[in-house]
Amino acid sequence: MGSAGSYGVGTGNSGAYVTEISEPARFEEEIRSLIQARFDAPPVSGGSFTALLGLSANQAVGLLHEPGAGEISAPAASSSPTGLGHPLGCSPTFPSNAALAERAASFPVFAAADSPASSSDGGPSPPLKAEPPDPDSSPPLPVPIDKPRRPAKRKDCEKQKAKGPGKKIKTAEEHTEGDQLPYVHVRARRGQATDSHSLAERARREKINARMKLLQELVPGCSKITGTALVLDEIINHVQSLQRQVEFLSMRLAAVNPRIDFGGLDSFLMAERGPLAASNGRGEAALDPVSWSSDPAPGTGLRTDLRPSQQSSTAWVYPYALIDHGTSLFGYGAANSVPLNSNQSKTDL
Amino acid sequence: MQATKSFEQAFLRHLLRGFRLSAVSYKSMSLQERKSAIKLSADVAMASARGSRKWTRGLITKLSREDEHRSFLRLILGTEYGRLTKPRHGSWKIPRSKKIVRRSLRVCSRRKNNLRAPHGVKSGVLARTLVEKRTHALKRLVPGGESLDGCSLLDEALDYVISLRAQVDLMQKLLTTFEAPKLRALSKCTLPERKASFVGK
Repeated sequence: MGSAGSYGVGTGNSGAYVTEISEPARFEEEIRSLIQARFDAPPVSGGSFTALLGLSANQAVGLLHEPGAGEISAPAASSSPTGLGHPLGCSPTFPSNAALAERAASFPVFAAADSPASSSDGGPSPPLKAEPPDPDSSPPLPVPIDKPRRPAKRKDCEKQKAKGPGKKIKTAEEHTEGDQLPYVHVRARRGQATDSHSLAERARREKINARMKLLQELVPGCSKITGTALVLDEIINHVQSLQRQVEFLSMRLAAVNPRIDFGGLDSFLMAERGPLAASNGRGEAALDPVSWSSDPAPGTGLRTDLRPSQQSSTAWVYPYALIDHGTSLFGYGAANSVPLNSNQSKTDL
Repeated sequence: MQATKSFEQAFLRHLLRGFRLSAVSYKSMSLQERKSAIKLSADVAMASARGSRKWTRGLITKLSREDEHRSFLRLILGTEYGRLTKPRHGSWKIPRSKKIVRRSLRVCSRRKNNLRAPHGVKSGVLARTLVEKRTHALKRLVPGGESLDGCSLLDEALDYVISLRAQVDLMQKLLTTFEAPKLRALSKCTLPERKASFVGK
C-alpha cells in the first residue's frame, strides 16, 4: 500500500540537508579563486565597478549577491575609485556559515536594496557623478540575467561538489538510499584513523546524526536543542503527548457518538458506492463539492425541525470535507442542504 | 514533513469501515467500551493505511494479542492480516532472547560501574547511559521497537510520529464535523428560533 516512502522523508530532505552543508565550503573556494584571479589580473583603469575588480560581470554580480555584498554595494556606490580596496576589505566577511541562510533571503532583499541605493546615491554626490551611475547601473542590469543563471550555477557546483574535492561530504548521503548501497563511501577527515572499524563507526554515526536532524525538524521546538539526550527527551515527550491526544480524542468521539447513528452512516456509505440508481444520482450530486456551496439557502428554513436528523446526516459530509477541503467548514454549509436529500434517500432505501 | 493525502484518505476509509463494523452494539456499550472500540479502529486504520512498516506490524501484533480484537482485525484487514502478522525472517525469537540478554548485561554493567565509580566517572560514560536510557524509553513507546537497532529505531520513530500526527488531525476534524451542527445552533441561537423549538416541544 503506502510503503513506497510516500512521505518524501528520506530522500528529499536529506538531499536538501547535504547541499546546505556543502555550500559554505563551496563558498570559501569560490571566494578564494576569485581573490586569486583579482590579484593576478592587472588593475584596470576603467570606470566600471566590475572592471575594478578585474572580473567578469557575472562573477562580480555573484560576489555582489554574497551576503557580505550588502556592504560592498553601498561603499562602492557612494565612494571613490579606490575600488581595489573594497574586495580586500569586504572579502573577509564572506566566509561565514551564518551567511548560508541569508543567501537565499538576500536575493530579493538585495534586488530591492539595489534600487533605493542607486536612486539615493545618484543625487547628493555631484563630484562623484562619474562613479555612481556606473556602479549603480551595472549591478542592476546583470541582475535579471543572472538570477536564472544563479540556480544553475549552484546546481553545477553541487554536481561538481559531488565528485570534486569535497571537504566533509559522505557521498553515500547524496545517494540517500545509503542503506541499499553495497559499499558506503566515506571520506576521511584530517587527523582521523582510516581503518575499517572506525570508518564503519563513522558511517553509522553519520546515519544516526542525519536521522536525528530529521527528527529535530519534525518535533517542534527541537531545532535549538543541542545534544542527543535532550533531543531524544523531546521526541519521547512528543510521542507520549500525541498518544495521549489520541486517547482524549477517542473519548470525546465516544461521548459524541450516541447522537450519531452509525447504522445510518452505513447506509449512506453504501449509497455512495453501491449501484443504487435513484439515490445514487442524488448521492453523487450531494457529495459533489461544487453543489454544496451553491445550496445553503433551502436548508436554513428547515434547520430547527430537522435538527435531530441533521446530526445523523452530518455523516454524509466528512468523507470529502475532511480530506479535500482541509477544514470542516464545508460541513457547516453542506449540512444545511443535506437534510432534504437524506430524508428522501432514506425513504427510497 | 507531512503525511500524504492518499495516506489520509486510506486512513479515513478504514476508520469509517471500522466504525461501521464495531457499531453493531453501540447503543448498549458504556463510554469506556465505546472509547476503546474507537481507539482500536483508529489504530488499525492507521496501521493498515500506512502499509508494511516495522511499527505497523508491531502495532497489529500487539493489538491481536487480545482475542477479542483478533476477529475485528481479521475483518478489517482481510488478506493483509496474514501478511502483516506472519513473522519476518524468523525475527520473533529475537525480542525474547534480547530481553534476557539485556537484563544480564544491565546487571553486569551495574556491577562494573560500581567497581569503576571510585576511580572517577567519566562524562562520556554518563552521556552514553543517558542516551541509552532514553533509547530504551523510545523503544517502549514505538510499537515493535524492541528489536530495532538505534538507526532504524529513529527511522521508525520518524514515521510513527508523522502517522500519529495525521491520526490526531483526522480525529479532530471528525470531532468538529460531528459537533458542527450543535455548535452552529448554539452560536446562531436567536430569539425566534428558540420560540419555534419551544413550540415544537
